[in-house]
Amino acid sequence: MKALRIDHVGIVVKNIEEAAATYARNFGLQVDPARGGDLPALGIRNAFMPIGDSALEFIQPLTDQGPVAQFAKERGEGQYLLSIEVDDVAAAVEHLRSLGYRVGDPANGVAFVSPRSSHGVNLQLIQRKNG
Amino acid sequence: MSGIGATHIDHIVISSNNAAVVAETFQRNLGLEIKRTMTRPGTGAQLAFAKLQEVVLEFAGPPQPDPSAEVKARLWGLVLTVTDIAAAVERLRTLGYDVGEPKPAVQPGALIATVKSGTCGVPFALIQYNAIPTATPGVSA
Repeated sequence: MKALRIDHVGIVVKNIEEAAATYARNFGLQVDPARGGDLPALGIRNAFMPIGDSALEFIQPLTDQGPVAQFAKERGEGQYLLSIEVDDVAAAVEHLRSLGYRVGDPANGVAFVSPRSSHGVNLQLIQRKNG
Repeated sequence: MSGIGATHIDHIVISSNNAAVVAETFQRNLGLEIKRTMTRPGTGAQLAFAKLQEVVLEFAGPPQPDPSAEVKARLWGLVLTVTDIAAAVERLRTLGYDVGEPKPAVQPGALIATVKSGTCGVPFALIQYNAIPTATPGVSA
């Protein structure tokens, strides 16, 4: 597998509109209207603000269940997830599993890695182009 | 122009109780190449750096890790690149935010300033490269 670039950094916030407005005012970033929205299956709302070749993803929990809600409950706001673009997500998953780590099955080019493979850091692998 | 003209993420800090072990894990699992390791002057913090295109991953840990302790890491801070750090600091202070004075960064010729509020809980800093003139070999003043 080959890690290509940082796709985005996920930041858990209490209120996504307020966070986006803060980052727009303070740092000159703009929300990408083509990405984000409510994801009821994950219990979150998200929005992306591109910066350079990456993006910041703001994530607001919509329920009190799930890992995002748990993070918000325990730590409030802060960096939550690192998304890394890889050349071949299926191969990346296979590689990590061969090392003994737990990785979810890829769906729509995205796979979530058990934090145990990175000492507690939430990692997402994403394949942007067809291999 | 609104905001401070941040151009890209310069680096992402992954803090842990053992920087070398975490960096080695990321190298093995994700194929990252650790380009540099160093001890931070003054604090003795152990640092390791990998780069993915324009973004640096900085693995930071204490000077003397406990080898018997379970290694735990977390995403910590973000550093954004700006083209004019003095103007950026001034603007954020005008908005009422607590921003530190720009000071020389570890990177030669760069200035860095910490942003202590207005970041939604993310430890934050701004960096400007080529902010301090550096000596050019073979060129006399």
